[in-house]
Amino acid sequence: MIVTRTQKAGFSLYAGLLLLVFYFPVFCIIVASLSERRFFSFPYPAEMMTTKWYENAIDSPQVADFVGISLRIAGLTAVVSVIIGFFSALAYARYRWKGRKTFQRLVLLPLFFPQSVLGLALLMWYNFLNITPAWWTAAIAHTVWIAPITTLIISIQAYGLDESLEEAARDMGASRWQILTKITIPLLMPAMISATCFAILLSWGNFALSLFTTGADSALPEWLYARMTTGYQPLVPAVGVLSVMVAVVFVIILFGIISWTNRKSRKSIASH
Amino acid sequence: MDISTALPILEVKGITKRFGKFVAVDNVDFFIRDGEFFTLVGPSGSGKTTLLRMLVGMEKPSSGELKLRGNRINELAPNKRPTCMVFQSLALFPHMTVGKNVEFPMNIRGVKDSDRRTRAMELLTLLHLNPYRYYDKNVTQCSGGERQRVALARALAYDPDILFFDEPLSAIDAQLRKVLQKELKDIQRQTRKTFCYVTHSLEEAMVMSDRVAILRAGAIEQIGTPDKIYASPKNAFVAEFMGEVNLLSIVATEPGKATWEANLNRLPIHIPVDPTLESGAARKLLIRPESLRFLASGEVAGNSIPVRIINEFLLGSRIQYHVEVVPGCNLTVERLREERTTATEATLGWEITDSQILES
Amino acid sequence: MNPPFWKKFFGPGLIGSLSATPFLLLMLFGFVAPLLCVVWFGLMPPKTFELLQAPTLENYRTIFEQTYFKSILWSLALAVATVIILLIICYPLAFAIAKIFRGGGYFITYAIVTSLFVSENIRLFGWVIGFMKNGVVGGTLAKYFDIQIDSLLYNIPVIILGMVYVYLPFMLFPLVLGIKMIPDPVREAAFDMGANRWQVFRKIDLPLSMPGVMIGSLLVFVLSIGAISEAKILGGQKVVTIASDIETEFTYAQNWPLGSALSTVFIALTMVVVFLTLSRFDLEKLLGKKSS
Repeated sequence: MIVTRTQKAGFSLYAGLLLLVFYFPVFCIIVASLSERRFFSFPYPAEMMTTKWYENAIDSPQVADFVGISLRIAGLTAVVSVIIGFFSALAYARYRWKGRKTFQRLVLLPLFFPQSVLGLALLMWYNFLNITPAWWTAAIAHTVWIAPITTLIISIQAYGLDESLEEAARDMGASRWQILTKITIPLLMPAMISATCFAILLSWGNFALSLFTTGADSALPEWLYARMTTGYQPLVPAVGVLSVMVAVVFVIILFGIISWTNRKSRKSIASH
Repeated sequence: MDISTALPILEVKGITKRFGKFVAVDNVDFFIRDGEFFTLVGPSGSGKTTLLRMLVGMEKPSSGELKLRGNRINELAPNKRPTCMVFQSLALFPHMTVGKNVEFPMNIRGVKDSDRRTRAMELLTLLHLNPYRYYDKNVTQCSGGERQRVALARALAYDPDILFFDEPLSAIDAQLRKVLQKELKDIQRQTRKTFCYVTHSLEEAMVMSDRVAILRAGAIEQIGTPDKIYASPKNAFVAEFMGEVNLLSIVATEPGKATWEANLNRLPIHIPVDPTLESGAARKLLIRPESLRFLASGEVAGNSIPVRIINEFLLGSRIQYHVEVVPGCNLTVERLREERTTATEATLGWEITDSQILES
Repeated sequence: MNPPFWKKFFGPGLIGSLSATPFLLLMLFGFVAPLLCVVWFGLMPPKTFELLQAPTLENYRTIFEQTYFKSILWSLALAVATVIILLIICYPLAFAIAKIFRGGGYFITYAIVTSLFVSENIRLFGWVIGFMKNGVVGGTLAKYFDIQIDSLLYNIPVIILGMVYVYLPFMLFPLVLGIKMIPDPVREAAFDMGANRWQVFRKIDLPLSMPGVMIGSLLVFVLSIGAISEAKILGGQKVVTIASDIETEFTYAQNWPLGSALSTVFIALTMVVVFLTLSRFDLEKLLGKKSS
């Protein structure tokens, strides 16, 4: 369909405006984190600009604790949910079995479920089991929510998996285990790496689930929330920006992998 | 009315389409007569689809002019043009029934409900689809051939001045395709609509069309009736495009004589006399498989060479042979079944008048 | 020919359910059991932390006698408003990404996906800094336009803004997937047969992208009905949503059974909507599998 230049310009303008609004809060936080005043007001003179809050944040042993806990939760969540996600993606997209249709619906259920309520439910469940909530119980909560996402990410690639490759390997005498380790896992590797990044990122930023399930070990978003609701503190935007920066590093890695695999698959199509 | 003298309905004047530096359609001129079945044919990448999309208004020509009944239509959007296209994918609306698909163009035009239904029923009947069975059927449940007919019925419901077709039969198996080709031709005769068909198969074009235009690399190579193109292809590209023919690379030596460059071997042969042909000029010599024959001992022909028969294929009433002249240089021979030979060595012959000299 | 029974046993059927097992165990332990726990706890007498007592419906009586229905209605209203506003904002953008932009589409996608990984609290806090008294907006207006405004925070529109903002990706991406599923020739064919842009949108685009519209609306509905942070951070205590009611019962009021009963009502309400919608659409289509 012909798209006229004015139409394209109109859509671009709209998209540009939306992106500006979308990144406005991030801009605000960066501005606030650089202001020396204890009580933020805008605009502030250039000589009031400081990186002191960043230094404070990096030096603060308290912040370091929260970061450590968040990282531990993210790491455990990523490992477990990618392993579970790999197998459930095969069940979701690759194998034909009786309960598959139901399973596909079931996978989505935790995603369509209010996270705060899930967090509470887990809290009660831990209480019933006499488990004291700690960072690893939060990781379980995150996994319940993130494993469906890793499943979906890996499924998308598993759908594209050429079944005949596995069949060819079996035909040449490979066992199920050999097929899994020499064919299936290498072919799904890009999706698994993407899924790992997604898992780390989503866990890193999650608040609703952590709120009830971390017990004494508070994660970073919780700490920020507590400070936000009890009035302004200049340390908060600085820590917020730092947390965004950690996320951005992972995002860059993630998108690098995605575009690399895209290019690779395009190349392999072109060579046919 | 004789189609060959009908007035042009669509005139294409110097149409060019560039995508960046790439010229997809290069200064093409032709016209389509009112009521004829016109076919654009070319291999993939010849620009035929781009040309078609310009004719229906889905691409804008970079330069040139399109005239429908004498009026310039370059600037008209597809929804304002009295033309309609049947897509390669058919583009049936998957969320509508067969009936609703056919009624769509009338629905858009605001035709009354009951009239719409009556017309849709008529069209389905015309297309050999029982309207009582198909009207409420979901298009996604129809077979390939049925979908084809629904798409045609829907296009006819738009009542266009010209109906365009973008290789709609390419995804259909060979047998059904032949049936649908004939149906399409019948419908075109019955409705007296102008059809403009695009295909990569010259065979398909020959079966259905009143006139054929052959495209190559964005330009028209030859345009004419199927008979004319078959009898005298303009050059080696057109000849080769017609299917299995033998094209020999030759270099003229003296009037009526040439050397055949058969895979590094040079064989002297006789060719038709052409006063414009200079000595040393490289040409192609076209010999149809059915013009070649195996000579009995003592039999004389304009040209004769010893060959080895390497393969035979049974094609119904005919047999096709692949013969080797020298290693790496094969010819195709087609004979009637009655003339079947079981020999492995034979003498191949053809008459000089059965060969044509073509530009390469 | 029938395959021998052992082959059937190790055939694709069993390996399918075996691969699904770890996930199913996780769901059993981390999703189903906790939810049953909530439902059961809702039947316990008020203000207890013990699970092994005689069930009672007292908490449910409390819910219906007191004004909790008000916070349920607030949550519903906010969620519905968020869904409608997001549909209107996102459809044109999703359309542009799916059908018009080429490379630019990726840029927008990346830019918006990136935001998903920043804790929503941080992003909402950005709005607080923007909208508070002497914040980025107020300060700019005062300094350069000489307009004095008070804080823009703590009202209902700003809560909706926060929800629209935070849940935009969850509407946008299903819409993009849905719109990408509309085959171009189908749109062109409608256009070719005389339909104008509005008719193409109403008769082709909208019905064919309906799965995306439904999934996006559903996701946003569920996420925003359970939202806590927006109302708290941006809304002050202007409105009390069901989610914050529940949180209060668990933290401040320390009445777990009442909180559980509230959660049960809330979950039931959400699940009814989710199941009604999910049962009508084939999700596999959205993931790119043409037929199953």
